[in-house]
Amino acid sequence: MAAFLKIKATKLTDEAVLTDLVTESFILVEMVIELQEEFSVRLVQEDLKHVKTFGDLIRVFESHAK
Amino acid sequence: MDENEKWILSFYRTSEITGALFFGRLAKGMKPGPIQRDMTKHFSDESLHAWYWQKCLEDLNEKPIKMRESYQDQYLEAAGMPVNIMEVLAITQIFEKRVIQQYAIHSQAPDLNPLIRNTFEKIMQDEKWHIEWVGKALKELESEYGKELIEQTIKKFSKADKEVYEKTLDEHEERLRKILSIRKK
Repeated sequence: MAAFLKIKATKLTDEAVLTDLVTESFILVEMVIELQEEFSVRLVQEDLKHVKTFGDLIRVFESHAK
Repeated sequence: MDENEKWILSFYRTSEITGALFFGRLAKGMKPGPIQRDMTKHFSDESLHAWYWQKCLEDLNEKPIKMRESYQDQYLEAAGMPVNIMEVLAITQIFEKRVIQQYAIHSQAPDLNPLIRNTFEKIMQDEKWHIEWVGKALKELESEYGKELIEQTIKKFSKADKEVYEKTLDEHEERLRKILSIRKK
């Protein structure tokens, strides 16, 4: 994810706000779609409704991967 | 050229570039397949359209205005972020229909320069194919996402599209209404 976002991995903390990590919202869309392909997870908009931080995102992927 | 017209052609150009970059990056990251293949052509079309608008402006002895925000940025704000390929295609279908409608209205504007009209005609041919391939892809995704969910998603994004279009008309009311000679409903 750090490579995708072109940022240092140390910036990907649990509390890091996703919109602060990217310059354009479209990059977040691409990243979430790529992650779903990578981990064979399928999400819908509702699943990410309350996701604000990097930690929130990880927890959504973890819960859907189970 | 009228400043309003220069602004709107620059706005079209920026939106075409935004679409090209978004689909280009998505196509790069997707697994190879029919959707990835057609998305690749789609982004090349959008890129070409941006070139057409710039060429059109230059042929009319103008330079495009550099813009940061595009029409699509407002979509994300109004509709929320699409998070899977079905949602991306659903929002794309709505957006492409809006583009065709907008270009059709503008191409009928009184005293339109023939260079601008020709540019619309060239672009509209591609836009029809965009709606066609996205529609087919959404049909194929019914087995994965369900027909009902796809229809609900299209309905949700249609509502957001109407909001964004009205907001854009309100924000740039004077210049848009002057060029397009349309009345607010």
